[in-house]
Amino acid sequence: MAHPLQELVHKGWVWQGHDAAEQLASDQLVDTGWPELNRRLGGGWLRGALHELQVQHNFQGELAFLMPVLSAQQKPCLWINPPAQPYWPGLHYQQLQQAPLWLQENDPKRALWAFEQALQSASLGVIVAWLPTVDASAVRRLQQAASRHQQLAFILTPWQQQQEARAYVNRLQLQWQQQQLQVAVVKRRAGWPLPPFPCPVTGHLPERRRRFA
Amino acid sequence: MSRDKLWWYLALPQLLLDEQLSLQSEIQRQQPQVLCRSDGQRARTVVQANTAARHAGVKLGMAEVTASTLVPELQQRTYDEQREEQVLQRLAQWLHQDIAQIALYPPQGLLLEVDDLQRLYGDYAGVQRQLARRLARVAVGYQIAAGYSPLVARILAQVPQLSFEPMRAAKSELLEKLRQVPLRFALLPAAQQQQLENVGIQCLGDLLQLPVGELGARFGRAMVAYVAELQGELLPPQRYYRPPLKFSERLDLMTEVASWQQLLFPLRRLLQQLEAFLQSRQLSVVRFTLLAHHRDQSQTPVRIAFALPLWRQREMQQLVQLQLERQQLATPALELSLRADAFQAREVTATSWLPAQQDATAQRAEQQQLQALLGKLQARLGTAAVQQAQAQNDWRPEAAQQWQTDLQTAKAPSQGLPRPLWLLPEPEAIAVHEWQLQWGPERIQTGWWDGEGVLRDYFIAVDALDRQGWIFRSHEEWYLHGWFS
Repeated sequence: MAHPLQELVHKGWVWQGHDAAEQLASDQLVDTGWPELNRRLGGGWLRGALHELQVQHNFQGELAFLMPVLSAQQKPCLWINPPAQPYWPGLHYQQLQQAPLWLQENDPKRALWAFEQALQSASLGVIVAWLPTVDASAVRRLQQAASRHQQLAFILTPWQQQQEARAYVNRLQLQWQQQQLQVAVVKRRAGWPLPPFPCPVTGHLPERRRRFA
Repeated sequence: MSRDKLWWYLALPQLLLDEQLSLQSEIQRQQPQVLCRSDGQRARTVVQANTAARHAGVKLGMAEVTASTLVPELQQRTYDEQREEQVLQRLAQWLHQDIAQIALYPPQGLLLEVDDLQRLYGDYAGVQRQLARRLARVAVGYQIAAGYSPLVARILAQVPQLSFEPMRAAKSELLEKLRQVPLRFALLPAAQQQQLENVGIQCLGDLLQLPVGELGARFGRAMVAYVAELQGELLPPQRYYRPPLKFSERLDLMTEVASWQQLLFPLRRLLQQLEAFLQSRQLSVVRFTLLAHHRDQSQTPVRIAFALPLWRQREMQQLVQLQLERQQLATPALELSLRADAFQAREVTATSWLPAQQDATAQRAEQQQLQALLGKLQARLGTAAVQQAQAQNDWRPEAAQQWQTDLQTAKAPSQGLPRPLWLLPEPEAIAVHEWQLQWGPERIQTGWWDGEGVLRDYFIAVDALDRQGWIFRSHEEWYLHGWFS
């Protein structure tokens, strides 16, 4: 008689870690712009996926962190409910190619609807959404839409104390410490969470003067 | 055998009522309904009646009082000739998709010149099939007859039980039928008809037997011309229908409707009309106005705009539906109308096999997809919900970009200056001692010509959370204007 676990595998209730991860072609991965992060995420951002970035405070380097992937896009990117207005002269100075599309919708349900519509269109580059709370079913829905239409999308959301399970492909936690952006991997494909590492985003920021102690 | 050219005449004896019925639900349609008209001092008489009313014994020409006594639950409305003429125009426009030469015979008839269409549809039977298919979609009762002259077709189409199938009959056959037509269907002015009856002429056959010279002497030139038309020797020129370049249609809702949601079904009809209008001209539309007409003659307009040119009813309906979801109808509507007067020629979207052009085509297709997405989002969330930045030549930071709701080829900013990635909607007053200045100042002094002059010294500074902000001093006050990260 087969091992009881075998039955569960047949039913698709249990996956074996190694087969899911390896069948990725390199064109399904998008360079994050940070070699260290690429290594940690198994090659880069997965296309057709939703990634979560938890930020401690807004404007602490998260946009600089996303700049490499945003400026690699030929198509315009959609920004949903950003915390301030995207400033095209500054973005252009950081080599963004297309002026951003800015969507502001205060009703969370309609914002999610717009997000889903955007995921279904092949005409956008990356979609970045700032959402304070997203429940599990919404994430699953968005993740499915992203995967079906091979779209790359990010959700920026505040730090969460206790981690509830969500269908994101990658979940990262961003924190500014010791004048550097610390990036912790909370969840990733086929791997354990990883402790924070400093990400050199300062190249996309004005040079800092040494702080007078 | 040289065949004679044929005209077809479409008689629509119940046009207005049919139109009204087609907007009603199945149950409403089962109710007996009539349209009445009063001519002069005489009592109002029934001019159009639906099947239910006829079954109940109502006859055309019956006095309204008699009819309502006969059928107490009878619904009566006043016949409006102008309204019927509008319906006829609309029908002509609908048929214009297939048939180019249509002459209006208001209020209830259309003359179609179908001779040239034989080549397209094979023969008259083919034309007839196509016509029947078109007419089936508008649910209107009609009688159709062919004639070797417009007049003959008109006469034959009115005679009950005489409208007959062979739409390509030979002249001799038609003439034979014509001879049996009683004089009251002859379409003659009442005075002339009376004159003929006075001399004992009962049907058109009697008239045709008389020598033309004698007719002219007794009844005048008009009668000679009439007989010549009957015989097909005189074919007066027709004024053919030219579709208007504006689209304006109005729908009677029959009952008061309290919300836009309930208007979606009647709206489909208007959009179908619009599609037909656009299709026959190879045009597309990007905006139009919907008007809800209220009982007190006032109107509620709703402007509908699409991010990309459309012409298909289904696509338009989807977007209009999204836009109407945001709308409230303050007072119930009695009628709905749609007006469009700005159209665009359609663009060819054929793919090219030249590689260079393929790229351009792909780009265009992408642009269109983006337009479509934007259209959908703006339809549901409002036009201002989605915007794209456009760089402006202005030194004032807040004026250096403008948000626009329609896509254009984005201009890149010309100034290569370090600028923040974020800009606050309004500069925010700050306490400067909480900030540590790092770089600056950059003085911006401009705009004195338009009364919104600024004199600011900008600094890059970090706040307590070590975030890099863009702050400025103006009139000894400090403000935060943007963020760098």
